[in-house]
Amino acid sequence: MILRTLIRNTNLLISTLLILSLFSFVLAFLFPGDPLENLSGLTNLSEQEYERVFLAYGFDQSYVTQFWIYLNKLFEGDWGLSFASGIPLWQELSLALPASIELSIYSLFVSLMIGIPLGFWAGFKYHKPADYSLLAISVVSYSLPIFWLALILILIFSLSLGWLPLSGRVSLLFDIPEVSGFMFVDIFNSEIDNKNAAYISALKHLIMPTLSLTIITAAIIFRLTRRSFIDVMSSQYIKTAYTRGLSHTQVILRHGVRNTLLPILPLFAMQSAVLLTNAMIVEFVYSWPGVGNWLIQAISQRDYPAIRAGMLAVSSLVIVVTIMTDVSAKLINPALVGENHAEN
Amino acid sequence: MYLNRAYQILIMCIVLTLSACGKISSVNINDAGIIYCSEGNPTSFNPQLDTSGTTSDASSHQIYDRLLNFDPLTGKIIPALASSWLVSSDGLTYTFQLRRQVKFHSTDYFQPTRNFNADDVMFSINRWRLPNHPFHHVSGGKYPYFTSLELNQKIDKIERINGYRVELTLKSPDSSFLANLATDFAVILSKEYANQLVQQDNLQAIDNYPIGTGPFKYINYKKDRYIRYAKHSDYWRHDSAVEKLIFDVTPSSSLRLAKLITGECDAIAYPSQSELNVVREREDLTLDEKPGLNVGFWAFNTSKPPFDNPKVRRALSLAIDKNALLETVYFESATSAKGLLPDSSWAHQVDLIDTSYNPVMARKLLIESGISDGFSMDIWAMPVERAYNPNARKMAILIQRYLSEIGISANIVSYEWSTFRQRLTEGAHDSVLIGWNADNGDPDNFYRPLLTCAAIESGTNRAMWCNPEYDNLVNQAVLYSDTKDRISFYHAANSVIAEQVPLVPIAHAFRYRAHRSELKGLVINPFGAIRFGDVTK
Amino acid sequence: MRRIDFYEDDLYPSPLKHTWQEFQKSHIAVLGMWILAFFIVLIVVGPFVMPFDPLLQNPNAVLLSPSWEGSGSLQYILGTDSLGRDLLSRLVYGCRMTLGISLLLVMIAMMLGVALGATAGMAKGVRSSILNHLLDSLMAIPTLLIAIVIVAILGVGLVNSMWAIALALVPQFVHNTREFVRNEMNKEYILASKLDGARKLHLFFYCILPNMFELLVVQCTMALSIAILDISALGFLGLGAQPPSPELGAMLSEALKVAYKAPWSIALPGLAIFLMVLSINIVGDGLRAALRNRLTQ
Repeated sequence: MILRTLIRNTNLLISTLLILSLFSFVLAFLFPGDPLENLSGLTNLSEQEYERVFLAYGFDQSYVTQFWIYLNKLFEGDWGLSFASGIPLWQELSLALPASIELSIYSLFVSLMIGIPLGFWAGFKYHKPADYSLLAISVVSYSLPIFWLALILILIFSLSLGWLPLSGRVSLLFDIPEVSGFMFVDIFNSEIDNKNAAYISALKHLIMPTLSLTIITAAIIFRLTRRSFIDVMSSQYIKTAYTRGLSHTQVILRHGVRNTLLPILPLFAMQSAVLLTNAMIVEFVYSWPGVGNWLIQAISQRDYPAIRAGMLAVSSLVIVVTIMTDVSAKLINPALVGENHAEN
Repeated sequence: MYLNRAYQILIMCIVLTLSACGKISSVNINDAGIIYCSEGNPTSFNPQLDTSGTTSDASSHQIYDRLLNFDPLTGKIIPALASSWLVSSDGLTYTFQLRRQVKFHSTDYFQPTRNFNADDVMFSINRWRLPNHPFHHVSGGKYPYFTSLELNQKIDKIERINGYRVELTLKSPDSSFLANLATDFAVILSKEYANQLVQQDNLQAIDNYPIGTGPFKYINYKKDRYIRYAKHSDYWRHDSAVEKLIFDVTPSSSLRLAKLITGECDAIAYPSQSELNVVREREDLTLDEKPGLNVGFWAFNTSKPPFDNPKVRRALSLAIDKNALLETVYFESATSAKGLLPDSSWAHQVDLIDTSYNPVMARKLLIESGISDGFSMDIWAMPVERAYNPNARKMAILIQRYLSEIGISANIVSYEWSTFRQRLTEGAHDSVLIGWNADNGDPDNFYRPLLTCAAIESGTNRAMWCNPEYDNLVNQAVLYSDTKDRISFYHAANSVIAEQVPLVPIAHAFRYRAHRSELKGLVINPFGAIRFGDVTK
Repeated sequence: MRRIDFYEDDLYPSPLKHTWQEFQKSHIAVLGMWILAFFIVLIVVGPFVMPFDPLLQNPNAVLLSPSWEGSGSLQYILGTDSLGRDLLSRLVYGCRMTLGISLLLVMIAMMLGVALGATAGMAKGVRSSILNHLLDSLMAIPTLLIAIVIVAILGVGLVNSMWAIALALVPQFVHNTREFVRNEMNKEYILASKLDGARKLHLFFYCILPNMFELLVVQCTMALSIAILDISALGFLGLGAQPPSPELGAMLSEALKVAYKAPWSIALPGLAIFLMVLSINIVGDGLRAALRNRLTQ
């Protein structure tokens, strides 16, 4: 059963990634301009050089061969060059993606830490003032446009109070070589003198972006948890558990918690995709050097190779995260596998 | 070592825990460096190749030195890499004595083995002067500043007398020549580095991985993000530069201001006019202002009737109230212009009489020149913001109102910037609101490009005005090297302008720079790019 | 006048009416509905009562504060922006643009989605399976991301971003319709109609669609709040509506330039977006709760 799930999802993952790379290949032809330039990112070539690139990308052969060559190049890490900067896209992405992932992971973590306990608590106080007020807060916070929230945080904490910096990941005074792309790891491995100051600086830069993502994500997680908990507690087996003479705490601990969380795990997968999208906007506001900011720049500069590569990277990341969360949810809760089968 | 790592992890954990409470002790680590929020990306790190201020800011005074410098306070030419110089009596031969013990930057891509000497000067000048120079065509091979002033044609030859003496001969005397060697663009590159690049077959690197003798050496550059410099510890002038200099590329002016407020920048480029008061009101920020070397003016197309009549031009100049324009368009960030030259120039004429607002006189002059029932004309307003005219459209609307009082109806015309300039050069306008930004402190840089006959052709004479008497005065002036002699020619030229009114000078705008108050020694350089060598914190 | 109950009908209101009664029990939901109604009235009559054209510049009244602050003027109640345009008029036109476009997009997405979903729900076999897989993958990608991708391909601009968001909203409608239709198809009343010889089109429009109505309304409210957030986000990022158009997101990004001097020009458009989304979410929540209550009773 488990094996089947794994194989099914691996198949799904591979075929989706294949479709995405095909899509990104087709994009090079859909975008204005020379497809070869859109694929390679090389512009203003002399005739000889053009001929060489033309052959290297297999443009004298069928589309299938071209796609095959393109796939090989993708695996080799040759994603072409950016029009705007002339730097290999893979190199740019391998620094931008970790920055986004870092931000998303921290906010997801904080959101779970806040959303789940509050969700249980509200469910516990179902239809009591505490529940109502938490519910009201959650509706308010997930109705907030994230870009506005981020701006308001800047207005308050940076411009009025002057507590927090408003752009970047760490003060530029720290010359931290970007190796892994994860700031704390890079600081740890760097050879600067005052690492502790650098940690604190990085942390200060992290607070506002994380906070703006968390306010929205935590609200959604709270609502999912609360709903699920209420459904579980009104179900038949909980009532049976009470009739068996178990105490309130025992019922909740033994049956409530597990059964509440299991069905919403796959929903968290979707939330991580939403989170990543919101992170892209937050990056734009806080000049965070992540993939979202990078992609938006590329779109407004009409940097076609970068758009192509950026979209491939972002959508692959979303798909991988979604499928992986989905699989782990299924492994923990085999009931979901059954559901899925019934559906098909 | 192991313990050290463990300690770091511990600190990291503590810091992460602290963050949960939102209380973070601030540690003062900012003393070691200066962050400057610049407005854009430099095109390269060689100002010879580009006249844009962004490129000069990032390289001219940080990485390089010139033979001569302008004193930012007095505008006088002072020694730099040339410790002294001699001009022959015929004004044709310039002999430069070079400074000894000047060291080039030592970086991970180049380690100098010798000090700066005459070879470096020859190399730097010949690069832009001689089309057959091995480096001439590297990085595009365009040297706009030098070609626009035809300096490459003016120099007859350069000779190396000995290791520390260079002799430069001109084809004709030109007293503004020295000033050109002190501009941002006349930087001195390293010949030894160039030789190394020839061996490595990597000529392009000379402009992207620069080596100079300036107070800072290049560390790295990330487009759209930052430029890093570190202190050049063997800098010939002094040892007091800060350890790190960082340019944080921030195109949005409001974001630059925000970063200045939060202390993420120590200084910012181009604060926007509307936000100047914000900076003034805050105690932790300082706004430096200084009259810039520029002039905003209203030029009449003197090749078209009725503007070919000096009386009509004079009438128009009397019809507008300059002070009102200064208040509403410049928000009092400019001084009224009486002539072409701003107050900071050494040839500025203090006793020059300003035209005053006199609509009655204007009407009278119009009637005298046979135009009693008015006429209609175009005012071209440039579509972009410039320091010398931050809002030409608004100014045009105001002028329109003044002209209607003397019976002239005016239309406001504007095109996209490049079309606008092209059509101006063709002379399609009646009158235009535009201005001029000077590159060096020499008055010739105002008088020659703005109003000489030759400048009609090269497209900087917006009045299309050609006056032999004026041309003669301007040409005479550069033949003399004594400033007193030159001043008398320029004053004579001023009276020709005042009589003929080919244009109405309106304002000399201030230049602004905002920085945090703890930053000391940042002086506005009216003659070009920003200098961080003497700045401390 | 009080109606006299002769019949028992009123004790068993129609499902729709029942849901409505349940909805009205929640005061907050009703309040949300009133706010939403206010916005809809505003976008209809707004242009007739606004004092200024949203694009009209007044160089003599640049960056005025709202009238309740010291330097404000009564002529410009909410102040002006950096080009001297009246902020109140721009806000009203902005709401009109953002909400109006979103409503339109949701309509388009709904019709497309329901049509596709119904086809998929009634179909069987390979066709349906392929569609299912495709949908599941698409559903996992947030609409904004899809929209950004589509804008990246089509190019920046309001019309392109509208296409992008409409297309991005479709999968959810397809998904929900398909599920619903598939469930209903197994029910006996459908079987009865089938036995009566009803064709598929007839089945859908006369049997399934009436039952789907509430679900669609709930789905529409969700889609509407997403559409508003997405269109203003694209405007804000400079990928959608371009200045000087008074789209709320584009207005926000323009206001960034004067963020420090005129914080209200950031606060107000954002507040408008927030209130619209909030009221729609409250109504949506209320409807869902009402629906849940009705079904459990």
